[in-house]
Amino acid sequence: MNRRVFLLGVSGALAGCSRGAERRLNVYNWSDYIARETIPNFEREFRVRVRYGTYESTEEMLAKVMSGNSGWDVAFPSNSFVVPMRQMGLLAKLDRHRLPNLVNLGERFQSPPWDRQLGCSIPYMHGATGIVYSKQGPAATAWADLWTTHYQGRMTMLDDSAEVLGACLKRLHHSVDSTLPGELNAAKDLALRQKPLLRAYLNAEVRDQLVAGDVLAAQAWSVTAQQAMDQSEHLAFAYPEEGFPLYCDNGVLLEESKRKEIAHEFLNYLLRPEVAAAIATEMRTATANEAARRLLPAKDRENVTLYPTDQILSNGEWFREMPAAAQRLRDRLWTEIKSA
Amino acid sequence: MRRLLPAYAVAAYAFLYLPLLVLSAFSFNASRFTVWHGFTFHWYAEAFRNQQMLDAIFNSLVIGVTASVVATAAGTLAAYGIWKRRASWLTNSLYLSLLTPEIVTGISLLAFFQWIFRFLHVQLGLHTVILAHVSFSLAYAVVVVLARLRNFDAILEEAALDLGANEWQAFRRVTLPFLAPAIVAAALLCFAVSFDDYVITSLVAGVNSETLPMVIYALARRGISPAVNALSAMVTFGLGALILIAERLQARSKAGK
Amino acid sequence: MNTLRRWFLAPASVITILLFLAPTAIVCAYSVLTRGAYGGAGQPVTVENFFRVFDPIYAEIFWRSLWISVVSTLLCLVLGFPLALFIARSKRRMLFLNLVMLPFWTSFLIRLYAWMFLLRDTGLINSLLLSAHIISRPLPLLFNDFAVILGLVYGYLPFMVLPLYATLEKLDPALIDAANDLGAKPFVTLWKVIVPLSRGGVAAGCLLVFIPCLGAYLTPDLLGGGKTVMLGNLVQNQFTTARDWPFGSAVSLVLMAAVLAVLFLAVRRKGEDLL
Repeated sequence: MNRRVFLLGVSGALAGCSRGAERRLNVYNWSDYIARETIPNFEREFRVRVRYGTYESTEEMLAKVMSGNSGWDVAFPSNSFVVPMRQMGLLAKLDRHRLPNLVNLGERFQSPPWDRQLGCSIPYMHGATGIVYSKQGPAATAWADLWTTHYQGRMTMLDDSAEVLGACLKRLHHSVDSTLPGELNAAKDLALRQKPLLRAYLNAEVRDQLVAGDVLAAQAWSVTAQQAMDQSEHLAFAYPEEGFPLYCDNGVLLEESKRKEIAHEFLNYLLRPEVAAAIATEMRTATANEAARRLLPAKDRENVTLYPTDQILSNGEWFREMPAAAQRLRDRLWTEIKSA
Repeated sequence: MRRLLPAYAVAAYAFLYLPLLVLSAFSFNASRFTVWHGFTFHWYAEAFRNQQMLDAIFNSLVIGVTASVVATAAGTLAAYGIWKRRASWLTNSLYLSLLTPEIVTGISLLAFFQWIFRFLHVQLGLHTVILAHVSFSLAYAVVVVLARLRNFDAILEEAALDLGANEWQAFRRVTLPFLAPAIVAAALLCFAVSFDDYVITSLVAGVNSETLPMVIYALARRGISPAVNALSAMVTFGLGALILIAERLQARSKAGK
Repeated sequence: MNTLRRWFLAPASVITILLFLAPTAIVCAYSVLTRGAYGGAGQPVTVENFFRVFDPIYAEIFWRSLWISVVSTLLCLVLGFPLALFIARSKRRMLFLNLVMLPFWTSFLIRLYAWMFLLRDTGLINSLLLSAHIISRPLPLLFNDFAVILGLVYGYLPFMVLPLYATLEKLDPALIDAANDLGAKPFVTLWKVIVPLSRGGVAAGCLLVFIPCLGAYLTPDLLGGGKTVMLGNLVQNQFTTARDWPFGSAVSLVLMAAVLAVLFLAVRRKGEDLL
């Protein structure tokens, strides 16, 4: 018995000893969304120990964070979730005095539709959803191309209800933010017709399969597309003709956090031009930080996939938060689509 | 038929072992893909350089050891109590927990923890994972120790009592040594089951409690990662060795006294 | 004795009550609540979730789980019976038996990953077939029902072999000799003598395979690519990304009811304690 108690004590002590009086921060971000040196540099300069966790979808993050005591301090939801999270009391108010680097943000993001005063969110990286396809086949430049049998079994859509319903709604010439049950149900039927043609519903995980040639066409975020195209010359990205959704991932401070000061330091650090530029260059993302963008080489700055021209952007629509009834309906329809 | 059966058996064993052997073989492949490109230890080195993996391995070990110790201790005591006299509700609950699909166990523990956290200021973390692992491995420990107890002759204990020992002493001096191999086997079993668990752990883990299966799962979802091949080979042979030891102990104890 | 025994049972009882029975009660409670707009659960109390479970679109998941489990169980039986027979007749039974059990105890997740490695379009099997020019395009071996069934059979074959072996080992060899003496060919002996006598092992094995298959989650998740949705996947999905705990709880309870129903039917028919 004594030996057992001793063992228990030792293992317990071992588990707990790593927690000291040092400054810590728990950051929850999308996978492949930060440069290798960003966190170590921050840790060194500010003497903080950072625990960095990743997720593949905003829903995954929300499921963990909704309880209100998940342990995370900073997270990066997409813009359509900022308002609901604020309404649920999950976000803390940001202190603009501690974020002098906010001026570095691009004009489009100084007063975005989801947070006019930037009171609880800071735009981080942005993009659009389009189609990645293999150049060895016909070009897929419209959502409708993903309903043909040409890609049978070698095509994927995003594992995201707003994205899949959005693509279907666009194909039916409705808004991606539609709240009308009639339009949403029609979109669901369209998704069900497509499902037998799909290989899987995958988010950024599809990148390796695109590069390997397993998958020939995929609904993908422009970031994933750019990362895949960097690794394979056989891939191309298209902004669908019928219209497409725009998204922006924002850094937020969670209300439950007990380390709000350190979190502010971190968010301000991310807004530094050289930091944001390093992330954008290494991970091939599109930064919302205008000062950082000016630091990028011309080839990246003008990259149409990451930084679409205004003309292309006019065909895009921001995702918006949904009223409760519409959100419930969308969630239910998505469960039905995934279950079929 | 006399010749068919052994031939079939060879095929069956090949089916059972080839995937793991192939995976282990390819963990030494210099190329990322399934084209053999040369022998290398590169992926093993990479697996050990990855801080996230090292943290996860550490967590898995801590959780495995703690949970198996607690589960084996409680399970041994319970098995003895059940052997003395039936405890239907406990036995039935334990069997039910064995039959419950892992996903149901996982979500029910998640729901329970989140409900409890309304009253205590705690979060999901290493402790919740350990509690969850204790919960589902308890039944295994009871089954293993109970099986050994069925071979135990109660007369030995009665003899001790006749000679003046009290019940606790009789248990400690007579029964417990007899049970020792089964207890160790149960502990190894609980450790193996806990080390491998993904479903339940993924639901109740917190910020700092990522385990090795969680890391492997995330990598497996994203495609083929040779570092996972290396990890898999190590885990397979490690756990395999543990189980062989457990089997040896049980075989020896059955053959012996 | 009673006080000592009560102390002995205490730790396990506390663990079982707190970490098994209480969670089950919480799930039952959740199953009759309503989901909030973005998740969570609250009033009003309703049985709507259970009605939703029997909606046609979810009934499809139920039937799919059922037929996949049945097919996997039958395949396990067909593949496992000869193997169990071989082991029962061999001279080194323990060795061969341990060899069957060993893969099972290594790591379920890793074994699934090993099959992903083999079955992918760029995996080993397709690579070999392509380079041998047997096929010109990779076969779709992964992310479909075939892969899921393969994974389930691979994973639970030992569960079938063990009870079959236990029964076959106890078979009186005199009966088989008698059949041979009466002139029966080996296959006839197998079909008319051995199989009927091993009914108990067959039933136990089918049970031990069918029940985990019904509640499978990891196998359809990794090998099915999120497309082969079985009951386990539905429950997991509702408790994570879909954030509909009430509905997920209802599905869990229905799954448990199905498991218990199968167990009850089996035990009643056999009348013996299979565990």
